[in-house]
Amino acid sequence: MARTKSNESDDPESQLDRVFHALADRTRRKLLAHLMLRPGTVSELAAPFEMSLPAVSKHIKVLESAGLVTRTVDGRLHRCSLHAGPLQHVAAWLDPYRVFWTDTLDALAQFVEEEEGS
Amino acid sequence: MSESITLNVQRTIRARPERLFEAWTTPQQLRKWWGPAHVECSDAAIDLRVGGHYHLDNRLPDGTVLRIEGEFERIEPPSELVYSWRLGGATTAERVTVRFEPCPQGTEVSIIHERIASPAARDEHEKGWVGCLDGLVTLLAA
Repeated sequence: MARTKSNESDDPESQLDRVFHALADRTRRKLLAHLMLRPGTVSELAAPFEMSLPAVSKHIKVLESAGLVTRTVDGRLHRCSLHAGPLQHVAAWLDPYRVFWTDTLDALAQFVEEEEGS
Repeated sequence: MSESITLNVQRTIRARPERLFEAWTTPQQLRKWWGPAHVECSDAAIDLRVGGHYHLDNRLPDGTVLRIEGEFERIEPPSELVYSWRLGGATTAERVTVRFEPCPQGTEVSIIHERIASPAARDEHEKGWVGCLDGLVTLLAA
């Protein structure tokens, strides 16, 4: 299996860049959504799209390079499956925002609910 | 900017939408409740009309003040507010939608925080912003 190209750095920031780049395209997000349900061959994955097989294959390569898809070769069949691990980095990166809003809404609830109670 | 992320947060609060809309748009009240636990809202100003400017100052425990500011894009009392959101002098704006929907327990409050810049975008445009976010992370981890 092809490893990431040598010019692609493996530090966490570069990995996160590749994940965001992979997610910043609706075709690739749809491909991921399909793969969340079940693994598929490249042609199965390409079926819902009005796109050539090579074009879809190119999108899958971007997902592979972000570590979101793994491809196994079985004779002539290339089977793709989801590798959700790197999505955790996205979740972790968003966490401060989530905590910020959750905490802020807690404060709002406390402010207005105490007042209603009194 | 194509690379961005949207965050959704919901919470049910035992109060009417009108009350929550008021708490969210009145500076005097915002100063009393705005922000996570360790943040003090040291100043708030709101020009509540479409295109009107607002700012919310967030004083962190170490004394640093982070300003959140922007302009209102939509105002639908008491059910919806949409405004741009720039944190700590960021040059590109994110966008926040706040919805208040009545439900049997009171009001369902929904936050949709859009156009959150990806790390790649931050590297190019908003070096200063990283420090601010780090500040928030430290703060929230405390």
